[in-house]
Amino acid sequence: MAAAGLGPARLFLGRRRGAMRALLGLARGLASGPQTHFGFQNVSEEERREKIYQVFENVAEKYDVMNDSMTLGIHRVWKDILVHKMNPSPGTLLVDVAGGTGDIAFRFINYVHSIRERQLQQKLKRHQNLSWQEISKSYEEEKVKPLGDSQVVVCDINKEMLKVGKQRAQHLGYSEGLSWVLGNAEELPFDDDKFDVYTIAFGIRNVTRIDLALQEAYRVLKPGGRFLCLEFSHVSNPLLSRLYDLYSFQVIPVLGEIIAGDWKSYQYLVESIRRFPPQEELKEMIEDAGFFKVDYQNLSSGIVAIHSGFKL
Amino acid sequence: MLRGGRGAVAALRRAAGSRGAGGQGRGQALEPSLLRFLVCPLSKRPLRYDESTNELINEELGIAYPVIDGIPNMIPEAARTTRKKPPAGGSKETSGPAGPQQ
Repeated sequence: MAAAGLGPARLFLGRRRGAMRALLGLARGLASGPQTHFGFQNVSEEERREKIYQVFENVAEKYDVMNDSMTLGIHRVWKDILVHKMNPSPGTLLVDVAGGTGDIAFRFINYVHSIRERQLQQKLKRHQNLSWQEISKSYEEEKVKPLGDSQVVVCDINKEMLKVGKQRAQHLGYSEGLSWVLGNAEELPFDDDKFDVYTIAFGIRNVTRIDLALQEAYRVLKPGGRFLCLEFSHVSNPLLSRLYDLYSFQVIPVLGEIIAGDWKSYQYLVESIRRFPPQEELKEMIEDAGFFKVDYQNLSSGIVAIHSGFKL
Repeated sequence: MLRGGRGAVAALRRAAGSRGAGGQGRGQALEPSLLRFLVCPLSKRPLRYDESTNELINEELGIAYPVIDGIPNMIPEAARTTRKKPPAGGSKETSGPAGPQQ
């Protein structure tokens, strides 16, 4: 209930920066909790959440273009690998957290759709003596349930990112089995034991309390459900690490300025990757949340890693 | 002829009114399939979807989460400041047939 007091206080502060901020800064510092990091800066948890919200508010429109330029398109391959690893079958319920602009959700839909098509084709092949009526009925089935009851819920904390995602979905023609929710990974608005798969791609790095997000992931998954996390990780090879650092700190913020007109947001991005726990440490955190059979797979020599765990 | 004109104006006002109300977030309704997943992020208890105000209401805590552009806003901070109000907003009146047209 103390949090209820913080709500209006936070709004008030947001509107009167400057002088009031200096005065209330001390009280706020005491109230807003322990210190944490924003890139290489040290900030309070509340400040970190606000700053990260602003980063994504600023970059939302150019998010996809920037991903392509920074990773030279390789991020598409990483995301493809994630969905292939998931290997969803028709009827799977997926929650994609921090899914913003929809990359994972769209891939999931494509994958399930093609599996379903193949299923129907195989069914037809097996029954060679079908009448025309039976064949047309099975095509109708496919039209009515192109995804076979599969569903993906995209949850993100940032309104702008969701807006961009919804627009993309409209442009690309995705509507069936796809829904959007504005929510906080640390406090998911979903009931227990609901989803078959939980994914978080390039999002967990921006969560302030990773332990809470992992606990929520565990809660909303069905028993037998799978947790999948795709995130930037640590490169162990020293030569590659040097090149990667050079590229990250010299090239990426410049690209950010040229393409998105926002050096600082991309500086944050690069710093946040360095601050994020390495593979083994993240694995332990996932195990702490209760997941079993936790494992990780390095991609591109550890530039990114896919962590996987199961709720038993 | 006057009556015809009045009718046309009334129809225009109604159309403008409903679009105005949509701009305030009453626009797109919530997708029904989401209702089986959504709960209050604070208490994890079920919510009631109110179609008229396009909100998800937690009766126990007396808070309502708005649905904006078809996307439910399930952030607790956004909801706390939205106490359950009787639907007497100005925008609602214009969407009715009354209107200040004497």
